[in-house]
Amino acid sequence: MSCSLVLNGRVIDEHDGEPLSFAEVFIAALGKGAVTNDQGHYRIEGLCPGTYQVRVHHLGCEPVMREVRLTSSTSIDFKLEHHAEELRELEVIQARPDEQVGQPTRSIDREEMARAAGTGFAELLTRVPGVTVLTTGPSIGKPVIHGLSGNRVLILNQGIRQEDQQWGSEHAPSLDPLSADRITVAKGAASVQYGSDAIGGAVIAEPVELPRTAGISGELRGLGQWNGRGGGGSGLLEGGIKGINGFGWRVQGSGRYLGDSEAARYTLSNAGQREWSGSASIGYRDHRRGASFYYSRFTRELGILRAAHIGSTTDLQRAIESGEPWYTAPFSYAIDAPRQTVTHHLLRAQGSIALTDRNRLEVNYGYQANDRQEYDIRRAGRSATPALDLWLATHTAEAVLKHWIGNQVHGKIGASAIAQENTNMPGTGVRPLIPDYRKQSLGAFIIEHMPVGERLELEAGARIEGTLLNVRRFDREGRLQTPEHRFTNAAFALGASYQLSDSARLRLGLASAFRPPHVSELYSEGLHHSAAAIEEGDASLGSERSLKATLDAEAALFGGRLRIDATVHVSRIEGFIYLRPDGTRLTIRGAFPVFRYTATDALMGGLDASAMLKLSPRFAWRMGGSTVFARDQRKNEWLFLMPADRLENGFLFRTASVGKWRAFEASATHQAVFEQRRIPVGLDFAPPPSTYHLFALSASASRTLGKGELRIGLQANNLFNTAYRDYLDRFRYFTDARGTDIVLSVRYAFGRFAGQRLLDAG
Amino acid sequence: MIKSTKLLALTLLAALALAGCKKKDDGHDLGHGHDHNEEELITTVKALFMHATTGDTVEFSWEDLDGDGGNAPVITGGTVQMGAAYAMRLLLLNESVTPSDTISNEVAQEAEAHQFFFSTTGGSLGWEGYLDADANGLPIGLLTQWSTGVPGTGNITIILRHEPSKSAAGVSAGDITNAGGETDIEVTIPYTVL
Repeated sequence: MSCSLVLNGRVIDEHDGEPLSFAEVFIAALGKGAVTNDQGHYRIEGLCPGTYQVRVHHLGCEPVMREVRLTSSTSIDFKLEHHAEELRELEVIQARPDEQVGQPTRSIDREEMARAAGTGFAELLTRVPGVTVLTTGPSIGKPVIHGLSGNRVLILNQGIRQEDQQWGSEHAPSLDPLSADRITVAKGAASVQYGSDAIGGAVIAEPVELPRTAGISGELRGLGQWNGRGGGGSGLLEGGIKGINGFGWRVQGSGRYLGDSEAARYTLSNAGQREWSGSASIGYRDHRRGASFYYSRFTRELGILRAAHIGSTTDLQRAIESGEPWYTAPFSYAIDAPRQTVTHHLLRAQGSIALTDRNRLEVNYGYQANDRQEYDIRRAGRSATPALDLWLATHTAEAVLKHWIGNQVHGKIGASAIAQENTNMPGTGVRPLIPDYRKQSLGAFIIEHMPVGERLELEAGARIEGTLLNVRRFDREGRLQTPEHRFTNAAFALGASYQLSDSARLRLGLASAFRPPHVSELYSEGLHHSAAAIEEGDASLGSERSLKATLDAEAALFGGRLRIDATVHVSRIEGFIYLRPDGTRLTIRGAFPVFRYTATDALMGGLDASAMLKLSPRFAWRMGGSTVFARDQRKNEWLFLMPADRLENGFLFRTASVGKWRAFEASATHQAVFEQRRIPVGLDFAPPPSTYHLFALSASASRTLGKGELRIGLQANNLFNTAYRDYLDRFRYFTDARGTDIVLSVRYAFGRFAGQRLLDAG
Repeated sequence: MIKSTKLLALTLLAALALAGCKKKDDGHDLGHGHDHNEEELITTVKALFMHATTGDTVEFSWEDLDGDGGNAPVITGGTVQMGAAYAMRLLLLNESVTPSDTISNEVAQEAEAHQFFFSTTGGSLGWEGYLDADANGLPIGLLTQWSTGVPGTGNITIILRHEPSKSAAGVSAGDITNAGGETDIEVTIPYTVL
């Protein structure tokens, strides 16, 4: 075996094709590397045949890692997304959320999204170990980070906190994952950066950067889904204006249409869904200033499993005992009551200006309107009238000064404000589930980073936030009441990132977070239909305050053959609000258990880990898993509805080319979700479902087509049509989860979206 | 040129945004015109037992005038004569609104989507069968036939199912086992047979 192979090529700017000088091309496993010359050329000699992780780094850019398989001397060009004019700004501060020094973060990029075609937003995030999904039947999913969800997970869309009635466990996030370039999950408490609610962590849907030069790029996707007999499609087109550097525009749209789902043994009737979304943005930026405007509209209509609509505890008992849905009908695309329609508008304006060479001011304003109707099965033709009709309007504004203090310390100082109004639209004929309210909050924060030597970077930050909540509700006698609540909270964050070696990094974070109680926790009253329970708020509840410690390790060992990452977390939440059983109440539908929102102290902890072992240049074995422990410290018992332990195993096959096809990938995976045994006594209507195993297969490949690139993928989920129920599915009392699904996806990309992050070695 | 292009694009975007964000319910004053009264609430179940020969009527009732929560329901049992046949008519009301709504009329209008089921304990009072039917000839249960035996006490349970499978096995004979649907009413009222 000769070790005299040569790897050479150029490093160029992805946008304008300009060569990038002084870029580092480095093979960590060998400790070998080169720096590009002023023509962007690099050359690394004396290499043995094999597969290497090549890291390309240029000042102010995110490093790019690429796998290269060398069998002979090879020439490879690397494209970096980079703009020379922006260099100064990027040198000053990188604004990416993964800059958070102590924060364990994992990202899902567009490629990964393409591999998960056909899955919803929350389900997509489960590709990150430690993220699970809280579902309400087959059509509604909410992300769960380390056991926490809903109001305890902040979703940041286009830099704006998503406000879409996320308190309801049957309210799925109203956003299209494809409107983001990548989605980052921050698994530590993140109130300093993002304000209230980020107790469990944050999900950051990062916007695609607008192009700055002329030339059209775009992407088209198509999707066919067997289970649900439907599909979807999306399109994205962007460009600049010739001769006007810095100006860019983008339009994007997508749709999805699915009928009833199929469980292993029966049809899940009235579980169809439709989604339409679109967005448009324009912007201008140069090295001193920038401005952009963005508007998106998202509409979702979905049916709620007919068999999960029940009227009494007797009905629930009957559903649990029978073991299958009481109502099934032949497959249909129709969506009848009970159903939901949600439209979410987001308008964002952003501006930034360099005040000096090293200080930059950014302002960000967002307006969101969330229009939600829920239709129930009602008598006398009222099924066409929403039983819940909410209009939630939110203004958010933030000003951030990115700055340097001396030559070492840099960071952000900022202020943020939120004004929100929730309105129950009249005419429902149903007493509102949550009252009308106005919420205003004002916060200020600072976060600074400081490198200590070559390997260590430290971070410290703090935030203070005040919230004023004005509620307008009617009591049982129809008298108007206008209670007012004030909450003041503070949070801090400490973080350290230590580069053990070029291929191993440790992150340690200790951060606090807070969350004022939501109006639903203060003032809910009434019957929850699918839960067959009466839920009562408690107006005396205070804010939840948490402290979370995380230790995160990422390493590439044995010359990159083994890659591991692991996150250990421990958190304590004071005033953790949950629903505690509080006797039964006799109603006209029989006796119902009453659950009251109650505060306790929670202690949680867990581990998420994944590993990838390269067995040969083409084969790899991947394994991942997570576990969460959560205790109610006041009652000294387990907390309800925490994710069960899970373990995933997969074999991956990759090859650079098969005939005309490139980047062929195939995988076979097995997922085991274990029976949840850490449950509180006497809180649940039925015991947790047993352990289940799911198998999946997928394959995809690309080829050049015209000026662009075509990628076709085929995947089969729940391959053996296993009948199973998941502990985190609120409809597990009524039905099995979805059976086999086969998804065919096609993606055609051109311009800068073509060939993004694909293997091009060999 | 730059300016005019930007201006044009901005105008377009603003127009798109405004077209998308229809402002609903202009000038809606927070809190007014609200649905603090339930339209569909059933507050009251009245079971009127009429003696088949004398025509004497006894009223049994289950009332929760303020709906779920608040004050506890008031349950008033009744006394019927031994060894007799009775016809029982059900009256469902929403007495939280003025004037009160007769919900049993809504049930009668949607007869195909509703059916009552009855059970008793104590053995002195027995349900004999349905005396009404919907357009498909399947029972509703607003009017039913009953009989009394020896003196004694017990409870009557009245269940109203919405969207039951009326043609499932045994359902039209009053057996709830295969009925499905969801429960709109499930009340238990004590009786005495003298």
